[in-house]
Amino acid sequence: MLKGHLDMIVLAALSAAGPAHGYAVIEEIKRRSGGAFDLPEGTIYPALHRLELGGLLKSSWMTADSGRRRRVYTLTGTGNRALVERRAIWKQFSDAIGNLLGGARPRENPA
Amino acid sequence: MIADYLEQLERELCFDRSLSRCVRQEVEDHLWEAVAADPTGNTLQAQRRAIANFGDAGAIAAQFAMVSLARQSRRAGVVAVLVVASVFIAMKARLAWYAAAQWALSDDVRAVGGLVSRVDRYAFLLSVIIGLGGWLYIRSRQIPAGFDPAYRSQLRRFVLLCSATAAALVVSVISDGVLTALLLHGLEMSVAFTVPIASMTIEAGCLGILVFQIRRVTRRAASTAALQQT
Repeated sequence: MLKGHLDMIVLAALSAAGPAHGYAVIEEIKRRSGGAFDLPEGTIYPALHRLELGGLLKSSWMTADSGRRRRVYTLTGTGNRALVERRAIWKQFSDAIGNLLGGARPRENPA
Repeated sequence: MIADYLEQLERELCFDRSLSRCVRQEVEDHLWEAVAADPTGNTLQAQRRAIANFGDAGAIAAQFAMVSLARQSRRAGVVAVLVVASVFIAMKARLAWYAAAQWALSDDVRAVGGLVSRVDRYAFLLSVIIGLGGWLYIRSRQIPAGFDPAYRSQLRRFVLLCSATAAALVVSVISDGVLTALLLHGLEMSVAFTVPIASMTIEAGCLGILVFQIRRVTRRAASTAALQQT
């Protein structure tokens, strides 16, 4: 289930952390989820590359304090819009599931 | 230990050399940062833990194969448009040369020339429309995490569009060849022949590049499917 939402998770982490490299993105995901997401760290990188190819992220290389080359990712305008869209869909979905599991009556449409 | 893991990852990513180099640098930075952040202070154990947390190199390479395939197919879409544009420039350059040299079809082949010219025009127009369509189609597709059936059929459609572009261009280039042969027929061989012959060679070369790109996409798709199955 987590895999299906990996893109949204990565976008949300980058939105919260600002420009960040892969390791920082993973740390942000761990921190914000309270360590709930336990997926192989390596799976984040194909997702970052895929999102960049899709125009949702852009990246640039810099030299870290350690002297190693580091790739830093930033959310693009398209990425921001995609995140807003996915957040709305997720909220709708989680509200519906919450209502279903909680037994609350669905809100009626004020039509 | 990290060096061995990076070597293995690079080997697994051998299907895309530039991606492999870039991923190696990224992963190297990640693993050493994880080692530096390890609270135990035992470097060997920290390296082992960093690698274990990162995941199996083969599984990661399989996920990158999908990224590589998407990049390859998008590149093929751009190449299709560039090839069509290059053929157009070569064609126009040749026509400008004919006008400058005041070469024209002789009366006895003018009717045939007119017919071939019409075929050439429509075939080229078709290649422009399909080529642009293919490029727009593939660049507007979302890239999935795995090589799922939906993306497979999208890729199949794209390859079909690229093949149709190439087929239309083949007709156009052959028509150009026929027109060039009709025009040069009966003229005495001279240095001036270099321009039409060179432009025809460029057209054929561009076509070859497009066919090569289509072939690369189909081969990459097959290898990605195989990688994702393992």
